[in-house]
Amino acid sequence: MINIHWPRVGTQFMTIAFDFPELATRLDACSSEELDQLDFGVIGFDANTEVSRYNAFESQAAGLSPQRVLGHPLFTNVAPCMNNFMVAQRFDDALEQNAALDETIDYVLTLRMRPVKVALRLLSTPGSATRYVLVKRQPK
Amino acid sequence: MTEDLAQLSAEYEALIQFLYLAPVGLVQLDSDGEIAMINPIAAQLLMPHSRNGGLDNLFVALEDIAPDLRNLCQQSTVHSGKICDGMHVHLHAGSGCSKRMPQILSITLLRLDASRIMAVIDDITEQVRRECRQRQNDAWLNAVLTGITDYALASLDAQGRLCEWNPSIGRVTGFGPDTEGQSYTLFYPDDAITPERALDRLREADADGWALDESRLLRADGSAFWGSVMIAPLPQADREAAGDAPALPCEEGPAYCLILRDVSDKRDIAERRRREAFSDHLTGLANRRALFDAASQEFERSRAAPRPTAMIILDADHFKAINDRYGHPGGDAVLQHLAAILLDFFREVDVVARIGGEEFAVLLPSTDLAHAVDLAERLCARVALDAKSFDGQAIVCTISAGVAVAADGHGGVDLLIKQADQALYAAKRAGRNRALAWQPDAVVAVPQEALDGA
Repeated sequence: MINIHWPRVGTQFMTIAFDFPELATRLDACSSEELDQLDFGVIGFDANTEVSRYNAFESQAAGLSPQRVLGHPLFTNVAPCMNNFMVAQRFDDALEQNAALDETIDYVLTLRMRPVKVALRLLSTPGSATRYVLVKRQPK
Repeated sequence: MTEDLAQLSAEYEALIQFLYLAPVGLVQLDSDGEIAMINPIAAQLLMPHSRNGGLDNLFVALEDIAPDLRNLCQQSTVHSGKICDGMHVHLHAGSGCSKRMPQILSITLLRLDASRIMAVIDDITEQVRRECRQRQNDAWLNAVLTGITDYALASLDAQGRLCEWNPSIGRVTGFGPDTEGQSYTLFYPDDAITPERALDRLREADADGWALDESRLLRADGSAFWGSVMIAPLPQADREAAGDAPALPCEEGPAYCLILRDVSDKRDIAERRRREAFSDHLTGLANRRALFDAASQEFERSRAAPRPTAMIILDADHFKAINDRYGHPGGDAVLQHLAAILLDFFREVDVVARIGGEEFAVLLPSTDLAHAVDLAERLCARVALDAKSFDGQAIVCTISAGVAVAADGHGGVDLLIKQADQALYAAKRAGRNRALAWQPDAVVAVPQEALDGA
């Protein structure tokens, strides 16, 4: 196991950037408050695709409060726009093959019914309870 | 006041979520296709097809699969109301990635006013498949009731076991009364059906009212015949769904009826012949006749709704040398390899045909010259990189292509093919492994000998 020294800001929490390596492990260790500090959207979900983590950035962008989202299946009840082979299928395949998934793709989300260009980072680690979709807005 | 605001924001959130979860794609666009609003299902359905990876413009996003949309909207004289209603759009088949991939979308466009159009987009793959099955079933039932052929009628229990033997079973299949209590899979060759598949078909019958398939079946003496098997649930109150098997067959009475028909008859052979008449045996592509039929139809349509039609004619370079070096099996393998690349490369709406020994033609509806030339160039590059492995060797084959376009159905199919052929000849002369567009000033008579052995 390589020991990575994460950059620290102050002593309370570490800044985490969208494109950090081995980000899933980092996010697993974050408290909800720490996730809320991030400048990109974080959606964490379990093996049944039920949403377990939903940060403030994503909640604000989508216009949905966490209680409408947490505990609901991601690809049918929260983000049906990702329910195709570009996103949902990749998570299915990774789970089925017990393989690690860490891919960043360009996508369009329909935040508050407006088409918004984003980068999606898809993270799934074998043996880990939480899988992540991270959402970063693309510059216009 | 704050309470009102809280109330309003809760209602707004509920409304947003209602639109997020609406199980149908909704898009609002302007007359140029620019998207103002779009819901998630629309994005789910459209994103895999968007040419530029964006969803700013509906016409651009759908250009590859529904190139007519822009014309349709701009030429429509409707001031308000439906521009098109449930138009079927067939998507590229066999992209390999999956069960999730819809095959057929339905698109409805509704003009709201001079500057706004609403689009409703739905995945109707399953619905069309069901309707198709239904039509097939109707036709089959019709055939049975008009007594074209003999048939066996048997009753099955909830597990698919034969409840009782009757003479019709003996007549069609040769099996005797000892078949009572056995699964209907006994009519199938051993490797042709699994017990799970047998139960699937019972569930299918429950869901659709019928389950029908055609396959090779066996008589009691081991001889094979082509059989059509229909299973239909019997109307029965409170019948338990196929679950745990009761100990004895038919303890709970018959649950399905099975009708088995020997269809190795002339009618079906004639049908198969008709299909064969339109396809090339070696490659499975359309043949010359099917290409002409499709092109004539497209010309007729583009006279009614003006649009360009492109034709690419392509030919394997130095094919004679490949045949000489690897023999005809090697040559055939290269042709099949080329055919597979063509099918993968072009849209489902394009007609890919083999029109000669090593000559192929592609009809591209609603495609202009620049786009067709770009496609032909990319195709040449792809074929050159994609060697066919044959007998442990890699056969590299390049192609030359000629491209021509007819505007609004002008000129006719023959002229279009002739022009594409002339462009192909020019591409051969210019050194092969390239695509050229037809040039009006470079009209030359193409001596057939010049193309032979190219």
